[in-house]
Amino acid sequence: MTELYQALAQGLLIGATYGLLALGMGLVYGVSGVVNFSHGDFISLGMFMCLALYSAFAMDPYVSIIITVPLMTAIGALVYIFLIRPMVGHQFLMVVQLTLGLSLVLQNGILMVFGGEPARTPSFVESKLIILGDVVLRVPHIVAFVVSFALAIGLYIMLRSTDFGRSIRAVHQNAHAAALMGINVGRVQVLTFALGIGILALAAALLLPGTPIQPTQGLRYTVITLLVVVLGGMTNFVGIMLGGLIIGIAEAFGTIYLDGPIGLLLPYIIFVAIMLFLPKGLTWSSAR
Amino acid sequence: MREEFYKTLSSPIWWGALVIAAIMPFVLSSYYVHILTLALVYVALASSWNIVGGMAGQISLAHSLFIGIGSMFSAALLLKLGINMWLGLVISAVISGILGAVIAWIDFRFQLGHLSFVLITLAFAEMGSIVVEGWDFLGGASGLLLPKDTGNFLAFQFGGGHGAFWMMLGLAAICVLVNVAILNSPLGYYLRTIRDNEKAAQAIGVNILRYKITAMVISAMLASVVGTAYVRYLTFADPYLLISPVITIEIVLFATVGGLGRAYGPALGALLLVPLGEILRGKLGSTLPGLHYFIYGIVVISVILVTPRGLLPLFERLWARWRGPAVASKP
Repeated sequence: MTELYQALAQGLLIGATYGLLALGMGLVYGVSGVVNFSHGDFISLGMFMCLALYSAFAMDPYVSIIITVPLMTAIGALVYIFLIRPMVGHQFLMVVQLTLGLSLVLQNGILMVFGGEPARTPSFVESKLIILGDVVLRVPHIVAFVVSFALAIGLYIMLRSTDFGRSIRAVHQNAHAAALMGINVGRVQVLTFALGIGILALAAALLLPGTPIQPTQGLRYTVITLLVVVLGGMTNFVGIMLGGLIIGIAEAFGTIYLDGPIGLLLPYIIFVAIMLFLPKGLTWSSAR
Repeated sequence: MREEFYKTLSSPIWWGALVIAAIMPFVLSSYYVHILTLALVYVALASSWNIVGGMAGQISLAHSLFIGIGSMFSAALLLKLGINMWLGLVISAVISGILGAVIAWIDFRFQLGHLSFVLITLAFAEMGSIVVEGWDFLGGASGLLLPKDTGNFLAFQFGGGHGAFWMMLGLAAICVLVNVAILNSPLGYYLRTIRDNEKAAQAIGVNILRYKITAMVISAMLASVVGTAYVRYLTFADPYLLISPVITIEIVLFATVGGLGRAYGPALGALLLVPLGEILRGKLGSTLPGLHYFIYGIVVISVILVTPRGLLPLFERLWARWRGPAVASKP
């Protein structure tokens, strides 16, 4: 029984951050129809920025977000304006190849700067544990869980009740009509992409404490994010957070209960099954 | 198979290029022969991918599975069960073909869109690499070391260096010829119809399932055979190279840079980019690991932004302009 609680708790905590990773991708897909295959490499970039700030100024990852979030947001805006926007009118598939190329650039740019050795960035909470009954929880996971949910709720409120949020939703529902209503669609698309990358900088800092990082990890994060987004029905906000929790729990169960490779396969198997049998993801209520 | 294919087969330019390529090992140093051999591996892989990714317009990221089966599985059969690599090549190709058919069937049965197809194949590719890294029979994370290549043809050995080059040249030529043949056969027309408008293709009676499966099986089997030859050349079956989704991404990018859906496009992309990357790696790899991939990425992004249909159409347009407006370009 202890194992069950442990797996559930661990999965929920990690899953919330996965949900946060996926929210950015879902927002971007909803607004400009772009699926960013370099998503995971931007997470990597965020993590290595934190590492650089730690090695230079001994800055804690939680503190360095003051610098990484604005920086990554700006990078996101530039990437969208100069690389992705020229392609949006073209075939959708070319954007896939373009972001795959971008992923090679980011991954190997990081490799060139930091080298290929796995690295760790210490944090003051890194080794702290909280013990609830028989369940052992790591403090960084709890911080990640709380902040992820707070951010998700903040984003939700932003989407519901600010002008910027309303314009995002308008472009998502019908870009043409939104343009007729006087919304600057191009600007909304840039800002959404930048916001999506900015969120990644935060998520990177949340995932970082205690996790060894290496430049080649990006693709795996991209895949996890894609799993969550697809599971959540691509653009459904609540669905994506739920998808994050499911993938997180599947991963925790897989590693705790099943030996070796099958455990690691569990999230992918669930993903393929959902993709095939529930192609719209978990969106049971299609209110839109 | 229409005239175009026979014209290619009897074309002096084709055979001339092949003969010139074949005498390269006598002219170049072994370092450049090695680079050309690698380029030919990727010519063959990108051309085999092109059948599905270019002609049928389905960006499959699952090809690392077929390459991985062709390389890791046939190597494991040889080392763990003593099965001759020729037989291993056939067994792996059949397994890859069946797997390809299953993937194409899933795509058809569940009416996956383009995006879902990319995602599902990527998920399959990730699962494949996890399985190989965790399964000792296939060498696990440490890989498999093949016996030394002594040139025993019956044991699928080509004597390294020159022999491997000629074998790869043959394979690459076959893969490109298969592309030419398919493009000029009814299958090629059906595939392009499916790519351009699947619903319309279905409406005029194109058997979508049949042609998707045919394309995927041909593509998968070719990729698997190339995988077997590649691992024999490398001698070391490295799971992080051969069954990592990165190898598929490289192939996709080579094909995109050269020209998707064209018979010679993927070959052009690989012939330009692989030597570029390898020479850069040779010169700067020890000081700046990752530089060649970095450059690939930059080249790919620039090519997509400047000429989204690839370099081959661009060269053809320039050629047509240079020759004057009277020359009609091929469709």
